[in-house]
Amino acid sequence: MSTTTAGRYDACAAPYPEPPCRRRPAPIYVVCSPNRQVGKTMLARLLTEHYMADARQVAAFDLSDEGPGLADFVAHHVTISNIRDMRGQIRFFDGLIETDDIPKIIDLSHREFANFFTIVDKIGFFEEARRRSIEPLILFLIDPSPVSVKAYGLLRRRFTGTSLLPVRNLTVAKGLPYGASFPHASTLVVSLEISILGPAARALVERQTFSFLDLSKQDSPHSDMSARTRAELEAWFRRARFQFREIELSLIRQQISTTSL
Amino acid sequence: MAKPAVILVGADKGGVGKTTVSRTLLDYFALRKISTRAFDTECPKGTLKRFHPVITDVVDVTSVPDQMKIFDTVESSSAQVTLIDIRAGLMSPTLAALRDIGFIEMTKRSQLTFAVFHILGPSIASLDEIAETSKFLLDARYFLVKNFINNTTFFDWDEKTYDSYFNKIPHAVGLTVPKLAEMACEQVELSSVPFATFIADKKATGEPAGNSFVLRGYVRHWLNNVFAEYDRVRLTDIVDSKDPAIKPRSSIKVAELSPQRANS
Repeated sequence: MSTTTAGRYDACAAPYPEPPCRRRPAPIYVVCSPNRQVGKTMLARLLTEHYMADARQVAAFDLSDEGPGLADFVAHHVTISNIRDMRGQIRFFDGLIETDDIPKIIDLSHREFANFFTIVDKIGFFEEARRRSIEPLILFLIDPSPVSVKAYGLLRRRFTGTSLLPVRNLTVAKGLPYGASFPHASTLVVSLEISILGPAARALVERQTFSFLDLSKQDSPHSDMSARTRAELEAWFRRARFQFREIELSLIRQQISTTSL
Repeated sequence: MAKPAVILVGADKGGVGKTTVSRTLLDYFALRKISTRAFDTECPKGTLKRFHPVITDVVDVTSVPDQMKIFDTVESSSAQVTLIDIRAGLMSPTLAALRDIGFIEMTKRSQLTFAVFHILGPSIASLDEIAETSKFLLDARYFLVKNFINNTTFFDWDEKTYDSYFNKIPHAVGLTVPKLAEMACEQVELSSVPFATFIADKKATGEPAGNSFVLRGYVRHWLNNVFAEYDRVRLTDIVDSKDPAIKPRSSIKVAELSPQRANS
């Protein structure tokens, strides 16, 4: 992320950004869970490639401290960030808050979960983002562990004005009820679910050379991919993208209703 | 009708954050629309004046003309609060001078409120300072401030030692100024503006400053915690005419403050 144009730098430096009615919604997706192996990086990848598939600008941030992380899959669009010291926090959060209309995706490591939300709370990051018409969305990958239930409850109580969406990755959360443990806490009427992939498709997706964008290419770099696997992956990516579009549409509807008030 | 208040901020030891606390007090009163004027006794350079130039005068508090300039104008000034940032080593002499001129006696008659913010250092010498200072302050508001802003580590005062000092001054009220991230602290120093102006991302001229949002966020969080402490001890009461000069407070005493609070 860089401030390449004078106009963009000015917008960032200005204490009062332009009114929301003149700008498109540019969400910040925080993909998170206090646990590992629940599908955070996969969801961040899907989101990043969703924007790339439409040739739209996107900025992704890898806050993982163990591989393979988001940067290993979509390197060209990802900035590896560190928020453990003040300089890193300034680079990361000041960059995120730029009013540049570019959606931002954060792949938050389970080890950085507490630190990230503590900083966000202290510096009033979500409040400032909304003030600049940037909608923060917490995409929380749910799982049956008590740690997850507790963390979700804490986020829900602490960030009352922020959209907190439970994401059910069926590989780890099949049959897990949202209900009391993970109540939907957002004005956006959407839900997210990542369906289970078959073993062959899953093995392919886990290759660091794999991109969902390759599926639409005539000369796929994955020559060993069977027609069935390709069809399964196409359908899977399509389902995920459909849900992401639902989120984007909800954001637009929300913006229209806010600005018309 | 509000009655005037005089606040002395001092410590006999240097480098404990007297000016920092003074700056937070000026921001606190400004936010609550209580008019202030300030005197900086760091003569001739004046650190407080660098941050609050419009309302601050640099004075030599040991000189009689400057004492007249401060204390003879307390009631006639349009400012509700007169804040005096006493430079290191001058607190006890200043209090003695105020006693000698009858200023402290005047506070007994409730014509004005007199408050002292005594900024404590980390050493046992601070306890002796308290004993020395408190004898002047039986009729004043006495706030004992543990200032953690620059990562001061207060050594563990033994409970008996603590009690032997604090039981003698039951009217003293404890306050904690928490730590502020070092880089945020430095950036405000460099900006030479009040904390509230830094948070609002303004220069002294009112133009946008372009300060880091993260640093402003940390300063805002810290200042809110400091203000919460001032609210806890009902600091605005000092300009309330209905408020008696001395009354027992329900707030926590310094002796009851746990070190953990400082890092909250």
